[in-house]
Amino acid sequence: MRKTYIAVTLVALVVIVTSHLMSPSSGRAVSPEDFAGACAPCGAPCPSAKK
Amino acid sequence: MTTATLSAPDIRPARFDPLFLALSIGISAVLIALVLLDGQPASAALILGGFGLGAAFLKAEFSYTASWRRFLNKGEAGGLLGGFIVIAIAALLIVPVAAMGGRYGGAIAPIGPSLLIGAFAFGLGMQLANGCGSGTLYTAGGGSGRMLVTLAFFVIGSVFGSLSLPAFLRLGGIDPVLASSYFGPWGGLLVTLASLAVASAIIVSIAKKRGANFTPNRTYIVGGLIIGALCAFVFLAGGHPWSVTFGYTVWGAKIATFLGFDLSHAEFWNWDGPKLALKQSVLSDTSSLTDFGMLLGAMAAAAATKPFARTAWPPFGSLVAAAVGGLICGWGARIGFGCNIGAFIGGVASGSLHGWIWFVMALAGSFIGIRLRPLFGLSRD
Repeated sequence: MRKTYIAVTLVALVVIVTSHLMSPSSGRAVSPEDFAGACAPCGAPCPSAKK
Repeated sequence: MTTATLSAPDIRPARFDPLFLALSIGISAVLIALVLLDGQPASAALILGGFGLGAAFLKAEFSYTASWRRFLNKGEAGGLLGGFIVIAIAALLIVPVAAMGGRYGGAIAPIGPSLLIGAFAFGLGMQLANGCGSGTLYTAGGGSGRMLVTLAFFVIGSVFGSLSLPAFLRLGGIDPVLASSYFGPWGGLLVTLASLAVASAIIVSIAKKRGANFTPNRTYIVGGLIIGALCAFVFLAGGHPWSVTFGYTVWGAKIATFLGFDLSHAEFWNWDGPKLALKQSVLSDTSSLTDFGMLLGAMAAAAATKPFARTAWPPFGSLVAAAVGGLICGWGARIGFGCNIGAFIGGVASGSLHGWIWFVMALAGSFIGIRLRPLFGLSRD
């Protein structure tokens, strides 16, 4: 199991660093709740917004 | 004549695991350096907050899944009440600060069929997975290979959940109900604390009727206080209550996109928040930052006290339960607006009614999940 953990940990690190370096970043970390009209932690709209 | 000094072989078990301790601290340092290079001290604080949460959960063995199971099976309420301590501490900061607006906001969610179905499914799944959102993180980080399987399927399930959430939202519902909207920042806090007191009284009375213990042990009290304080810290750093499972959804969607799946037409991934999260670095997503910190904090705490991940893989049936439970948890968390952390702790600590509804439905789901455990060779206890 240790070998699995070493492999998973190192692959995850490479993927995170690569993804970070190759992706745009708008500045401070955001949550979907930061956006106008978000009604849930995932950013779903409020039921009233659809009516 | 010669003399020889014989010394007994050192059979003491290793006190710590230098490899995994170094890995966890080293990787944490790399992630913190990356966000600081982008000029984001708040992101570094979220990683550190997650790291502290991972260590605290692991050392306190703070398990929502097991404590809910003990309550449903035997009436023991100590663990459940330990979870309420976390909420009470976090609410002291979150309810008034979120109500005052600015860059801070609470964890809210609409109330409707989506919440009810998702929470029920999550409760069922977490008893098969043997871990909720936070539990999966700290046990996987702490060296449980079984929970690595749960985490992988949790991620897959949450992507399926993201694809089906819009359809469930179309079933209807009402806008979030917040105590502070009706009673103001401090009145909202009082109502939130009163709701915790009432829920505690109900749970204690059930425990008494069943002749079970209802006093949280010292570890749960101290752990609850520390975890509650760390929840408040994460709120201050991130602007919203701590959440776990949105990060899983983003990871899964990024992997799916890498594998060639096109999510650009999915309604969920066209909402502003998810759309930006899919496009940006995972280190720009608040829940991913605390998730990474929590995994690494649990790894550091485990490796600091004993050899890491030395146990054997569990039986096949247990791994199947981990996969099935993880898949259901992931789907349920997306449909039900989060897990124990984002929906229950975050919701109730924000004074949002959906948190309590989530709790009742997830408890009902757990009741069924416990009865399904023997199908996979797991005990009901």
